[in-house]
Amino acid sequence: MTELTQNLIDGLGRGSIYALLALGVAIVFGVMHLLNFAHGEMITVGGYLTYWTALQGWSWWVAAPLVLVGAVVTSLVIERVAFSRVRGSSDFTLLLTSFGVHFVVSAMFLLYVSASVKTFDRPGWVADTYAVGPLRVEVFDTVVIATAVATLLGTSLLLNRTMFGLSLRAAAADFDTARLMGVRSDTVIRGAFALSGLLAGIAGIFWLMRAGSTVPSAGIDPMLKGVLAALIGGLGSLRGAVAGGFVLGIAEVVLRSRLPDGIAGLTEGVVFVLIALLFIFRPQGLVSVARAERV
Amino acid sequence: MLEVAGLTARYGAIAALRNAELRVGSGEVIGLIGPNGAGKTTLLKCIAGLVSPARGTVSFDGEVVTGWAPERLVRSGLALVPEHRRIFVDLTVAENLRIGAVTVPGPQRAQRLAEMGERFEVLADKWDTPAGYLSGGEAQQLAIARALVSRPRLLMMDEPSLGLAPVLVDLVFDLIDELRAEGSSLLVVEQNASRLLAAADRAYVLRSGEIVATGTGEQLAARADLFEAYVGPSVDGESS
Amino acid sequence: MFPDRRRDVALPLLGAALLWAVFVGGGLLYEMVAGGAAERLVTVMFIDAIVVLGIGIYVGNTGILSFGHIGFGSIAGYTFALFAIAPTEKLNRIPDAPFGLAEVSVGPWGAVVIAVVVTLAVAAVIGVGLARSGAESGAVAATVITLALLFVTHEVARNWPDLTGGERAGLFFTIGGALDSRIPVVVCLAGAVVVARLFATSRSGRLAIVAREDNLAARAMGVNPLVQQMIALLLSVAVVSIGASLRVYEDGSILPGNFFFSYTLLTLVMLIVGGRNGVTGAIVGVAVITAARELARRLGQDGFEVFGVGLDGPPLDWVFRENLQTVVLGVAMLGFMLWRPGGLLDDWELDRWLGRTRAGDASDPPDDPAPHSPRDRLLVVRDVEVAFGGFRALDRAGIEATTSEVVGIIGPNGAGKTTLVNVVTGVVTPDSGTVILGDLDLTGRPPHHVARAGLVRTFQNLRLFSALTVRENVEGAARAGLRDRNDDRAVPGVDDLIFAAGLWEHADRRARELDYGNSRRLELARAAAAAPDFLLLDEPTSGMNDAESLAMVQQVRRMAALVGAGVVVIDHDLNFITSICDRVYCLDQGRVIAQGTPAEVKANPLVQRAYLGGAEPS
Repeated sequence: MTELTQNLIDGLGRGSIYALLALGVAIVFGVMHLLNFAHGEMITVGGYLTYWTALQGWSWWVAAPLVLVGAVVTSLVIERVAFSRVRGSSDFTLLLTSFGVHFVVSAMFLLYVSASVKTFDRPGWVADTYAVGPLRVEVFDTVVIATAVATLLGTSLLLNRTMFGLSLRAAAADFDTARLMGVRSDTVIRGAFALSGLLAGIAGIFWLMRAGSTVPSAGIDPMLKGVLAALIGGLGSLRGAVAGGFVLGIAEVVLRSRLPDGIAGLTEGVVFVLIALLFIFRPQGLVSVARAERV
Repeated sequence: MLEVAGLTARYGAIAALRNAELRVGSGEVIGLIGPNGAGKTTLLKCIAGLVSPARGTVSFDGEVVTGWAPERLVRSGLALVPEHRRIFVDLTVAENLRIGAVTVPGPQRAQRLAEMGERFEVLADKWDTPAGYLSGGEAQQLAIARALVSRPRLLMMDEPSLGLAPVLVDLVFDLIDELRAEGSSLLVVEQNASRLLAAADRAYVLRSGEIVATGTGEQLAARADLFEAYVGPSVDGESS
Repeated sequence: MFPDRRRDVALPLLGAALLWAVFVGGGLLYEMVAGGAAERLVTVMFIDAIVVLGIGIYVGNTGILSFGHIGFGSIAGYTFALFAIAPTEKLNRIPDAPFGLAEVSVGPWGAVVIAVVVTLAVAAVIGVGLARSGAESGAVAATVITLALLFVTHEVARNWPDLTGGERAGLFFTIGGALDSRIPVVVCLAGAVVVARLFATSRSGRLAIVAREDNLAARAMGVNPLVQQMIALLLSVAVVSIGASLRVYEDGSILPGNFFFSYTLLTLVMLIVGGRNGVTGAIVGVAVITAARELARRLGQDGFEVFGVGLDGPPLDWVFRENLQTVVLGVAMLGFMLWRPGGLLDDWELDRWLGRTRAGDASDPPDDPAPHSPRDRLLVVRDVEVAFGGFRALDRAGIEATTSEVVGIIGPNGAGKTTLVNVVTGVVTPDSGTVILGDLDLTGRPPHHVARAGLVRTFQNLRLFSALTVRENVEGAARAGLRDRNDDRAVPGVDDLIFAAGLWEHADRRARELDYGNSRRLELARAAAAAPDFLLLDEPTSGMNDAESLAMVQQVRRMAALVGAGVVVIDHDLNFITSICDRVYCLDQGRVIAQGTPAEVKANPLVQRAYLGGAEPS
């Protein structure tokens, strides 16, 4: 029982990051029907920025905002340069373009920064733990969960209480009709990418804190988590994406602790198989948003 | 106020419009009738900027607006209530109206919304209900309110009575009368030709992408061969 | 399987042979010129070509983007390695291999066979999954499932060292145990080109292509896309498995990273750049990308000079660096997707070009084909009810038609005509009511069953197979429809139909190049080619003026007579309806409100009111 609760907490910690990543992926998908394979690259940018700040001898208090800014800027640049040109294209074109962007960006890191692993120090408190009854909780997990919850609440406020959020939701539901109301396509799409970048940035800060290093191909992992979690929740649904992130995080931890030793490393593989099965038997994802009756 | 000249458009492979021409004067209610597939929706979409015409011009208040994006046209005072209403089913009634007010300056938004709530009581009752739960008639009112909230100078409606029971059709046409009395300019596409002709100042008959007849509402309604004009002449040797 | 020997077998074989000869010859020539170091480059290029051809068999013919074929390659590669590497070597590296694999060895030939079999088994499972997810051309679901495969194989390879040697060590052949002769590669390449080309000209391949162009229209002709996609998948995986095995054999080793994202990118870029819909394109893509990569690699090396000018000083060395290749690939992918998604060659094929230039002038048109007497069958649609949510779309609606008449359905917008058509053709299942054709109960059967039973439809929005030629459009329907029906009546040939439709001069033009009138005629001819008992035409005169509509009357009569089919036609143009129909039904609000001869129905005040609306408020 304690083990289960322990797993739950660890899983929530991971799941928080995945939820943020998934939400970013789902928001972009909502407005453009595009699965952003370059989502992880925003974090890699942050990684190199962190490395640079470490070289200057600055602390994480400087690195963190830089990671945020880097993610948002990268997201907007990618939209401007590549994705804006394929708006409204077939899924085939969108998927391949996305794939291509991922490769170009990560290859440019390889070319123009460095192929080798760049390490930087984690903040001191990352490894600290404290006890709650029989459980050991990492300070890191606590911070992550708290930040993620705050971010999700903030995003929810943004989506539900602001004009921009409303425009985003309307555009995701029916782009043409939203334009008929006066919503500007450029504004809403760029806004979506900026928001997506911000969420990736926040997730990225913690991802990098845990990883302590970065390489050109570091973007694949977070991207995968984000995409998978968004898929679990059903690509069209924002709430589903968040739920999917937590489900993925918890599933990962539980599987890792349950599987026999030799195969523990196959956790990712098992998760993948489960997701593929999910997509085969329930293509709309886990969370079917209760659709109001169409009139 | 609105002038359409020589408008030709393709919809996929189909030539949906051929040299369509029409005029809407300030304060007029103009009807556009014709069978399904005639190109009425395509015509409205061309005016509203959702479809690019292959040829022809659309002028609004003397300015050529052909090919303008819809979001720009709304800001110039042109609004469209689309076919099948296209309300945002997952957004609440209030949110639907608020989106309609996206071009309205922030401080005025609340007041405009309140006005709509007064005018359409049903909507006020269901202010925070997701729009998907509205009935057909309520949804139609929401769609119209959503377009009205930006106080357009020209309101276009695409088949507002589609799928509505007769008593609700009354509601729609009562609303058209009210708007006309208030001095609004309307361009209305309708299947229910008789009622539209009774309500409109002038009307056009569109068939196979071409305007085949025009006149005042009364003139057209009085035509014995209206049905023929509508669906096409027969070729049984007697009538032309 | 191959209706026209010359065009479907002989020419493709010739073209394939030529293509292979030029490609292999060119590679060997380069090797002679550039020296020994190029030998491996050229061998790898040949092997890449096999893999890319394999991927193209699936992605090109079905239009489904698969990210997972390299995952299949991984499975094949590891299986091959496990069975081909000598036991002594394996006992060194993976002594604890499960299933006693460390002691087994069957040599390279046996290993390839086992690799193909194992991978095909996995492919069959994945194929079922793809079908269940409703994979259609370009759909996201298919991409995700195949992407999952890629990742699972990668993860398994990384995390199961006992079987695969793990991430860093991998599996190795002993020195000298690797491929030493070029011949197997070149032979397999020839086989791959032939298989790829012949699949595309075979019945199954053509049906897959037709479904790629327009899934709904294909099903309405009687094609079951899922079957063709499965066949394409299995064939493509077999070819990729062979290519992967050869690659492992050539490398002499296998690591998880060899069959993951980078190789996926490489092969996809090669396919996209050359032209994903063609075999010639695939080969060209492989050649172009290999050359580009080699050039980029050389430019990135120090000391490389072009015409005596060194490229390694600043600022040029900032552009040309090592690892430039990866950027080149990514940029190529992006560039082509943004500006030329069809690739360099689109679907141009060498053998088709040869066929055209050698054929000279077109063959003579057939003589005026004779009409067919219709079979005696009755279509009865009765008491159909359909409700969408609270909205009643059809209320005890029904029609009847025989194969020797033309029946019309009219009614205002929203009357339920489209819903009725959808019920009859199997797109929508009614809540109650029946659709009976002859003695077959078609209620609720899927569209391709309905088509094969003898009822074929056209679409209001004109769903032609736009990238295919007129002839290929008509043939597609002919092949799909005839297969399943056991009657032995001779049906009019494709040529007869094309001629009767007035499209003889356009027979080899792509459907998307036709003007509107010809497009409609093609759609009609295509529907007729499925030799149906009933043609169901959905607003065939949509967008036509009066003169064109009248011409359409003749067309429809001609086609129906040629094939011996009854006609059910929906339209608003009373001109057209009156000229062509023997009987007419009028629908309003989901109900049949009038039926009779066209004159009767037209004069019916109920009908007039339905169209124009009631004059007084209720």
